[in-house]
Amino acid sequence: MKIVVCIKQVPATNDAKIDPETKRIIRKGIKAILNPFDTYAVEEGVQLRDKFGGEVIVLSMGPPKAEASLREAISVGIDRAILLSDRAFGGSDTWATSYTLAKAIKKIGDVDLVICGKQAIDGDTAQVGPGIAAHLDWLQATYVMAVEEISSSSIRVKRMHEDGYDICEMSLPAVITVVKDINTPRVPSLKGRLASNKCEIPVWKPDDIGADISKIGLDGSPTRVVKTQPPPPRHTNTKKIEGSSIECAQSLLRELRLRSVI
Amino acid sequence: MINHIKNKIYHVEVLPPKQDSEKLEKDLEIFSNKYLRVMNSGYCVCITDNTMGLLSFQGTEMIEELDLPVIPNQVMIHLNTFHTKDNLDNILDICKLKGIRYLLIITGDGSERLPKLRPSDVGATDVESVTSVELLKYINRKYPDTFVLGVAFNPYEPEEHELKKMERKIKAGATFIITQPLIERNEVVDRLLEKYPKIPIFVEAWMSKKLYLLSEAVGYEIPENSEFDPISTLKMLHKLYPGCGVYLSLLGFKTQYHLIKDTWV
Repeated sequence: MKIVVCIKQVPATNDAKIDPETKRIIRKGIKAILNPFDTYAVEEGVQLRDKFGGEVIVLSMGPPKAEASLREAISVGIDRAILLSDRAFGGSDTWATSYTLAKAIKKIGDVDLVICGKQAIDGDTAQVGPGIAAHLDWLQATYVMAVEEISSSSIRVKRMHEDGYDICEMSLPAVITVVKDINTPRVPSLKGRLASNKCEIPVWKPDDIGADISKIGLDGSPTRVVKTQPPPPRHTNTKKIEGSSIECAQSLLRELRLRSVI
Repeated sequence: MINHIKNKIYHVEVLPPKQDSEKLEKDLEIFSNKYLRVMNSGYCVCITDNTMGLLSFQGTEMIEELDLPVIPNQVMIHLNTFHTKDNLDNILDICKLKGIRYLLIITGDGSERLPKLRPSDVGATDVESVTSVELLKYINRKYPDTFVLGVAFNPYEPEEHELKKMERKIKAGATFIITQPLIERNEVVDRLLEKYPKIPIFVEAWMSKKLYLLSEAVGYEIPENSEFDPISTLKMLHKLYPGCGVYLSLLGFKTQYHLIKDTWV
């Protein structure tokens, strides 16, 4: 089985500022990390490879420094990594990004399964996974909380939603996006980290994946950000409980009961 | 562990490199040099486990990968509850294999990226989450007579609660105690000493000048003192607690290490 895991390097903070001119996140001076949701996708890829054999490849589009996130994925057991990096990819929205990733997946060839995190913490759109499936014209299942069964031709997954879960069976190749409940990502070992520092990571350009230049980067991005503004502040109703520890506990109990919490 | 007090063997904390280190090779070299220096001094090197929830490499993998020598009496590994079961068993197996006997068992600090042991992982059926108590019981059950297990004592927590917790830890198999850092006499520690006269107790000496870091570590505000001198404080702790061992945290290897040689007299 050949599995591709798509990952993104994101700013290591949820307090990122927006450039008022470009309406884009100001990334300068902010530490970059592997998108936390993607760590579950990486772990799932490694676990499926360990169980069923084959190869798991990690793929990312981003600036050269995104290589660090690819190395992090290698340090927990991914077989190899590919970075899509070129100025022409800059400014891509989710449509152009998913087009680019889909072209790279086609170039890799014979891929059975693509795994993505449910969303990236910077854009929070959750569109790239489904976008890849649309560009490849493959079946997809989003918000996957468990891979129940997998064979050479099909996959059965449990999809989480607000009122419970769905069981979906799809033929392969397919795309899934995964949620936190799917596994516990392993922490990189020192051996893995040292090995990841030594491996070669090829960098693919638009020509390498046969991308139509009009469909990538800013030109290929139909999204227009017209306006951004911070969300209104949340109003919290804080009540301070004072007294001895026993009095405080009694008051807290009373308050929780009044609110039917317990 | 009592021999560490009798023979004036300092416990010297050494922090392994962080997972996100951008200069890992250099950090590994620094760690290795510190480890060997402590060993060569005859002290006990104490390797932390993801302090403050910050992802770092494990002490056991550092020793294995860097091929560091293990003198059983001179190595202590911290072990907390933020591991997967496989990872925990792997650490304990390596400790056994390498002859590492001293383990400091703590509940520890978690973070988004750190997995947490589940009660079923350690065979605990009567709790909702794993603490140092359940971990102690598990290690003693799975590896009988293999390790010497110690626990932490926090005199900055409510005393009654902390002493009761200590009773559970001792019952679960802890045979030595290390306190949170002290910078002066502490009445709660005095009462701990009265309560457990036969258990080796090590007071932690805060060797950094930055007291605000201590506040962050213990979770309570420690008044800033511009006059704070770690070496003088260390000497004072020896006088105040002559029957205790001393654990040195955040020791400056360049600026302080040579000064501790004659402080424990």
